[in-house]
Amino acid sequence: MITNKQTNKLRWAYMDHWRIDTPQGQLSQYTSVQRFDDFLKQVAALGFEAIETFDFHLGPLRELFGSLENARAFMQSRGIDRVLSLFHAVMYDERQSAPHVRATHDHIVNYAEYIMRSSQGLGVENFIVMPAGLYYDVEPVTDDKIRACAELWNRVGEMTQKYGVKTCCHHEFFCGIRTAEQLRKFYEWTDPRYVFFYCDTAQHVIAGVDPVDLYLKLADRCGGFHMKDTLHVDLTGDYRRKPDAEVMAPTTPRWFHEMGVPGGLVDFPALMAAMKDRGYEGWVGVEHDKADVGGGNYPESTALSAWYIQHVLKKIYA
Amino acid sequence: MHKQIKWGYALNQWKAGFTSFARLEEIERAFKVTAACGFDAVELNAGSGRWDPIGRPENIAINFGSSQHFRLKLKDWGIHRVASTFFDPTVMSFEELHFGLMSTQPADHPRILAQARIHAELLSELNGDCLVVRPFPSWWKEGGLTPERIAAAADCWNAVGAMTAALGLRTVLHVDALSALRTAEELERLMSLCDEDNVGLCFDTAELTIAGHDVVALYRRFHERVWHFQFKDALAVDTLDEYKLQNAERALIAAGGERQVQRWFGEMGTGLVDFPALLAAMRELGYAGWIIVESDKGPAPIATGMMLNSWYRQHVLDRSAD
Repeated sequence: MITNKQTNKLRWAYMDHWRIDTPQGQLSQYTSVQRFDDFLKQVAALGFEAIETFDFHLGPLRELFGSLENARAFMQSRGIDRVLSLFHAVMYDERQSAPHVRATHDHIVNYAEYIMRSSQGLGVENFIVMPAGLYYDVEPVTDDKIRACAELWNRVGEMTQKYGVKTCCHHEFFCGIRTAEQLRKFYEWTDPRYVFFYCDTAQHVIAGVDPVDLYLKLADRCGGFHMKDTLHVDLTGDYRRKPDAEVMAPTTPRWFHEMGVPGGLVDFPALMAAMKDRGYEGWVGVEHDKADVGGGNYPESTALSAWYIQHVLKKIYA
Repeated sequence: MHKQIKWGYALNQWKAGFTSFARLEEIERAFKVTAACGFDAVELNAGSGRWDPIGRPENIAINFGSSQHFRLKLKDWGIHRVASTFFDPTVMSFEELHFGLMSTQPADHPRILAQARIHAELLSELNGDCLVVRPFPSWWKEGGLTPERIAAAADCWNAVGAMTAALGLRTVLHVDALSALRTAEELERLMSLCDEDNVGLCFDTAELTIAGHDVVALYRRFHERVWHFQFKDALAVDTLDEYKLQNAERALIAAGGERQVQRWFGEMGTGLVDFPALLAAMRELGYAGWIIVESDKGPAPIATGMMLNSWYRQHVLDRSAD
C-alpha cells in the first residue's frame, strides 16, 4: 500500500464515484453505515488518507452519523482523515444557474455559500467546480462569456476563502472552457488569490490539451489533481454531443481508467517530475469515474491506482 | 509485529470459473492488487488445463519463458516471494489424466507423488517454502477414517514429505471442512505416523471452524507441527453434520445445505474466528512461518475482500502487536 511518512511532501486522496454491489443491485455506499464503513476501509487499506466526494453526500452523511463532526470522527477511526474536497454537483441551466450568464451569478454564489455553511466539520479544503456549463449550452464560447465565468468564480472564491476553502476549477472535456486558448484566457481573467486550477489529467488529454504543459503554466495556482488516465482523445466532437458527451459518446463507452492502464495517454511520470520541479506539496487526488463500465470495478481500479503510486510515481516524487 | 511471521495472500479467489483468470492481463492485475494491498508474497494454486496459465510449470514456461523469468516478473509487480503452493490430489487433472486421486488408496500413491513433485519442483525453483496438500478426500467419498486409511495417508504424505525435503521444502497438511478427518484424535493419530521433520500442518482457520473446531485450542494442542496458516473467517458452522451429504462440495458449500447458508467464508473480523486471540497464541508459542490470507468463495468484486482483509491486518492485527 502507499506508505506515508512525515517526510513525504505528497499525501494521496481518493475521489469517490463508487457503487456497491448488493443483493438489490448497485447502490451507493452512502446508503448505510456498514456500506460506508467497508468503502472507507478499502480506500484506507491502500494508503489513501482522505476522500473527495460530491456535495450531495452531505445530507446522507449527516443522516448516517448525526453530524458531520461524527462522520469525520468515524472516517478517522478507519484511517481517512477528512473529506478533502467537495465536488459541486450542479446541473447548470441558463434560466437560473449558468456561469456564463451574469444574471444567474447571485444564485450560484448563494448556493455555494450554503454548501460552505453546511459542510463545516468535515475538514474540507477544496470546493471543486466546473467553471462553465456544458459546451453545447455555452457555445459559441466568446471572450465575454469567459469573462463572465471568471467574474463569477472570483466572487465565489473570495467567499469560500472566508470558510478556509479554496475554489478550484476543474475542466471536463465537455466543459465550456476546454481548449488551451480558452483556459489561458480564463486563468488570466481570474484572480489568483481566489481561483485555483484543479488538474484532471484525463479530461485535459481527451480535450486535446497537455496536462503537463497546463500544470507547468499554472503551477503557482494549482489547487490539486484528479489523476486518472484515458485511452482516447475526442477527435470527433463528442464534447458537443447532446444530451450527453460522456456516457453516451460514440467514441467509447468508457473514457476514464485508472492510472497506469496499458495504452494510457496521460504522461504521469512527466507530470510527477514537473510537480517535483515546481515544488508542489500537499494533496494529490486519484479518480477513475465510471470504472465499472465494460466489466471493470471500482475496488480493483482503486487498488491498481495505488499500485501505480507505490511502484511508479513515488519513485519519481514522494 | 512478530518478526518471524510472514504474510502472503492466496490467488484462489481470482479463478471463480474455468475461463476466468486465464488472460495474462488479468493475472497481472491480480498480482498488482495483491501488492497494492500490502502483501508481497503469494500462495500459488496447483491447477490444471489450458485456462490456468500459472497453475502448471509448463504453462508458466509458455507464458513467461521460465520460472525464473516469472519470478522476475512477479518482482516487477511487487511480489517478492512465492511462499507456497496448494495441491489437492482429489481434483481432476487433464495433464495426469485422472479424475482425482486418493491418499487413502495405496495404488494412487505413486501418481500422487509424481504430481506433487511437478509442483514442488516449480515451488523450489521459485524459492518457496511449503507444499500445502489436502491430506484426505471428502468424507462423503469413502466415509469416516479407519486405522488403515489413516496409515495409508500417512505413508503417502511421508513419501511426499521426503520428496519435498530433498527440494528444500516442507509438506503441510491442510484439513478442510469436508474432510474425512473430523476429530482432533484422528489428527493426533495421523501426525504420530507422519515424519515430524518433513510433514507438518497447515491450519485453515475457516475450514476448521466450519468443521466445529476451536482453532485457538487446536493450535495450542498441535502447535509444534503447525508450520503454515491460512487466515480467513468462517460465517457459519456445519452444525447439522452436512459434510456427510453426497457431493457436499455442491450440496453444503455451494448450495448452503438445509439452512441455505449463502456464504461460508468471510473477510477477517466478520465471522467466528478470533484472530487476535489466535495471533496472540501464535506469538506466544513462537510461530515462525507464513500466514496466507484467503478470500475464496466471496462475492465480486474480488478486490474488495482483499482490501478489507488488508485493512483488518493493518488496523487490528498489526496494532495488537503494539
